[in-house]
Amino acid sequence: MSLMSFMEVMSTSSFPLIAAFFIGLMTALSPCPLATNITAIAYISKKIGDGKKTLWAGIAYTLGRMLTYVLLASLIVYIGVNVQAISLFLQKYGERILGPLLIFIGLIMLNIIKLPSLKSGDRITKLKEKLSEKGYLGAFLLGVIFALAFCPFSAVLFFGMLIPLALKFSDGILVPSIFALATGLPVIIFAFILTFSVSKLGKVMNKVQTFEKYIRYAIAITFLIVGVYYTWRIWI
Amino acid sequence: MNKLTYIGIGIFALLLVFFVPKYINGNATAPGDSNLSSDIEKIEVYHFHGNHQCYSCKTVGSYAEETVNTYFADELDSGKIVFGHINGELSENIGLVKKYGATGSSLWIGVYYRDGGFAKEENVNVWYKIDNKEDYMNYLKGVIESKLSGA
Repeated sequence: MSLMSFMEVMSTSSFPLIAAFFIGLMTALSPCPLATNITAIAYISKKIGDGKKTLWAGIAYTLGRMLTYVLLASLIVYIGVNVQAISLFLQKYGERILGPLLIFIGLIMLNIIKLPSLKSGDRITKLKEKLSEKGYLGAFLLGVIFALAFCPFSAVLFFGMLIPLALKFSDGILVPSIFALATGLPVIIFAFILTFSVSKLGKVMNKVQTFEKYIRYAIAITFLIVGVYYTWRIWI
Repeated sequence: MNKLTYIGIGIFALLLVFFVPKYINGNATAPGDSNLSSDIEKIEVYHFHGNHQCYSCKTVGSYAEETVNTYFADELDSGKIVFGHINGELSENIGLVKKYGATGSSLWIGVYYRDGGFAKEENVNVWYKIDNKEDYMNYLKGVIESKLSGA
């Protein structure tokens, strides 16, 4: 049995959570989510010196994807928003916004664009700063935004396969959650590998930390490359 | 394990308890969009797509066209089968996109019955067969043949 035949059998499984998981895996390997996941891996690797933080950042990224998919599925399943309208809208605008947004983030990371600093004072701002410092909030938001970027093939998988499944079982929560988990799995696995390799190579990683500035540049350049790729694909 | 992990596992377990009965009942649900008549008037095989097409999207469409041209040339000539690549972003195709409910790049088969009935079905299995043209064409040929026979 070929890999694709196996994926077909599993994705059409009569148990919806298994089907959702394998549709998610197919999505993770399709071009757009693959590119966004590579960018996410670059982002969560910025705390490469601290393995546990890297793993949690990977989980936060997947939770971000989960929030988007659950919201979209719930809007369709529970509120009855027209699936066709929401799908065509996201395919039209999601990809168009993603490219320039990635370039924008890349330029911020390179300090070419400077954002005004927030006044720290109230508890929410302090919490935000704490989360940002650990990279969790950034990873979470990245997941939320990246999940909105539907390319033609990932739209087929989500709107053509997953949503009918969610509608059939009136489940706008668990089915899209398992799907999201599978789409973020490459990032979690990579973060997991990083966590263990970092703890074993602690001394080497201490040296790596001294190159943190260069790591940040490398991440920013990854954002720029992926951003230019999307912009070129859609706009040019 | 920390507190957050336990909370996560707890929420997941609760969701499972809530949704699993739905999964069992959902399996028994019969598809609503069917017509019992076996008197077929016409079959439409449409490949919907947008202005920007991915590699897989183009392949799904071109293999479908080749299948219809290779195995159903007589039906195409007689008008019993209609094939088309439909760009959903063109205003003249809005009616068709709405009629089929296409949510993006997709392959749909619409069956018109002599009693005026119409049944549409999106075929998602073709996406898993684009790495094997022969497999794809044989599969789609079988699907169209079964529609023609009124199954």
